[in-house]
Amino acid sequence: MMLGALLATPLVGALLLWRAVGRVATALHALTATLTLAGALAVSVTVNRGDPLVALDGFLRADALSAWMIALIGIVGALAASEAPRYVAPAAPGRFYLLFHLFIFTMLLAVSTDDVGLMWVAVEGTTLASVFLVNFERTRASLEASYKYLLICSVGIAIAFLGTVLVYFAGIQQFGDEAHALRWTTLLRLAPGLAPRVIELAFVFLVIGYGTKAGLAPMHTWLPDAHSEAPAPVSALMSGVLLSVGVYAILRFKPAVDAAAGAGFARGILLALGLLSVAVAAAFLWTSSNYKRMLAYSSVEHIGLVCLGLGFGGRLGTAGALLHIANHALAKSLVFLLSGRIRSAYGSAEIAAVGGLMRHMPRTGAGFLATMLALVGLPPFGLFVSEVMIFGAGFTQGFPAVAGAALVLLVVAFAGLLRSAHTMLYGTPPREPAAEAPGWRPALPVAVALLMLLFTGLAWPPGLGDALDRIVAIVVP
Amino acid sequence: MTTASNLLAFLGLVVTLLIVWRQSWPARLRLFVAQSLLLAALASTIGVLAHRRGLLLVAAVLAVVKGWVIPRVLARIASGDPVRPVAPGRSSGIALLVAGGLVVAAYVIMLPVTAAAELPTEGAIPLAFAMALIGLSLCVTGRDALGHILGFLVFENGIFGLAILATYGLPGIVEAGVFLDVLVIVLIMEAVVVQVRREHDSIDVDRLNELRG
Repeated sequence: MMLGALLATPLVGALLLWRAVGRVATALHALTATLTLAGALAVSVTVNRGDPLVALDGFLRADALSAWMIALIGIVGALAASEAPRYVAPAAPGRFYLLFHLFIFTMLLAVSTDDVGLMWVAVEGTTLASVFLVNFERTRASLEASYKYLLICSVGIAIAFLGTVLVYFAGIQQFGDEAHALRWTTLLRLAPGLAPRVIELAFVFLVIGYGTKAGLAPMHTWLPDAHSEAPAPVSALMSGVLLSVGVYAILRFKPAVDAAAGAGFARGILLALGLLSVAVAAAFLWTSSNYKRMLAYSSVEHIGLVCLGLGFGGRLGTAGALLHIANHALAKSLVFLLSGRIRSAYGSAEIAAVGGLMRHMPRTGAGFLATMLALVGLPPFGLFVSEVMIFGAGFTQGFPAVAGAALVLLVVAFAGLLRSAHTMLYGTPPREPAAEAPGWRPALPVAVALLMLLFTGLAWPPGLGDALDRIVAIVVP
Repeated sequence: MTTASNLLAFLGLVVTLLIVWRQSWPARLRLFVAQSLLLAALASTIGVLAHRRGLLLVAAVLAVVKGWVIPRVLARIASGDPVRPVAPGRSSGIALLVAGGLVVAAYVIMLPVTAAAELPTEGAIPLAFAMALIGLSLCVTGRDALGHILGFLVFENGIFGLAILATYGLPGIVEAGVFLDVLVIVLIMEAVVVQVRREHDSIDVDRLNELRG
């Protein structure tokens, strides 16, 4: 019931927003985002206090892992929604808001179903809902970005479909339990008896497919284009939670693959792709001349770290990876929102065109600096804690070489990111930017997100550790 | 059932190879229609012989969506473009050779599946996968938007064929999702291509090269 209401909120809101204009549209948009956030938080609290929520004969199901993602989608969705009215033409806001809430709906659906077939449909739905959002500014560059995004992600997701078909095939070959062979709960129960070679092959396809969506190198090529050309609230959603939904899909299959084919198989793939992603990102963080592209490559880096954490495994690695997903979602969506403000003030997304942020836009500049420090993993912010957990897992689980190499790459990425941030914050701009908006309203989402990052970094709120424990129990049975 | 599924999948592969070979767009579009109809025939054959009523419905939807609606949309996309002369000196020999290699690769990759299968249709599974791989290569090497879409659709057809052969049809909601998905992708592609053409006076994606690094 609760789960159904959560999913219905953005869907109904999107449909109502189709024809809405002017202040009605803005108000309806705000209401939909608020209700979605409230629903998401309610679902995740309920799930973490008791048993998984189940609806529609088990078709929809939210356990602790789903609840974690649902809460993140709700929070990042609200952050992005608070910034969206700045980007919308008041005359015809309908299409943007419609697609925005549909996008959130598809992501929520992907993480709250028990059926891996429906999960596939929903993940594909995220691409279809967001492709016009990427092209919202209708420039040549954004057109190119949306074309690449649609083509690459459609091919990727078709490969994931192949993987899903093979999983289903393995299930019905072994047990003939066709009615529920695509249910994740069934799959997990049957996993020890599934044909290991088939499951391995399926997992390769699944990782390539959902890894495309997650932005793992070498399937990440759509990501810098789409993230840099989309309007800031959409970039925030894509980078903050869409990539994690891709990781989530892989993560759902991991326990079944571990049970069917042994723990080493998924681990090897995840470690290799994670390390490659961090390496690719570290290189491109030094060469990007556009700050939104730079932030997009930083997302590749962080998703790589998440994969490393999942690959190292164990309690520490898995909990670290999940916490890192949350920290990255907060920090990256915030920095994309700020970069959108910077871009509209300076009229350019080139690093060279931006300078003296601290002087000309002191509040935006301070927020940007704090978020960049959080992103490179400095204390007191949460990313420091989750990175320590991930690397701690790497060294204790017996992968010192992988962890060491990733650590070196991380330092390279750190330096590249800070170099560009320094230019933007303290350099001299070629031309004066527009003044930043006064008042407390623009500062509110920034303060909220930074405060949450401080909480995950310094003092875990009650229930956070417990929620992570519940997820670990699901992923590492 | 073995004979029928092997024959239909083999014909599907032959049609796929013809798509690789032919250069003219109308011919390739007709071949794609033929491939989709062959798949629909495959689905209905298995549906009848294995007593799966659902597959008959799937076959009907497949024939309508991929045999009629999508080709019409593709023809509409192509009609706005001046007929591209076949590039001189570009032979299909190497592409066909690569496709041949992909067929062999498909057999190797699908070994675990055919080994685990106890189905009368298992012999055709690698053929369907070969179709998918060739479609993927068409999509990757496509030089304009139409080439990309066609490659993607052939790829999708191959995966769909594999799904039918290996599982005798997926649960209804997934099948419905797949059809809806392909249809929406093609429609969005059309919208994007229309815009690309307006911006660039061509659908040659070599001109989409502003985003680098």
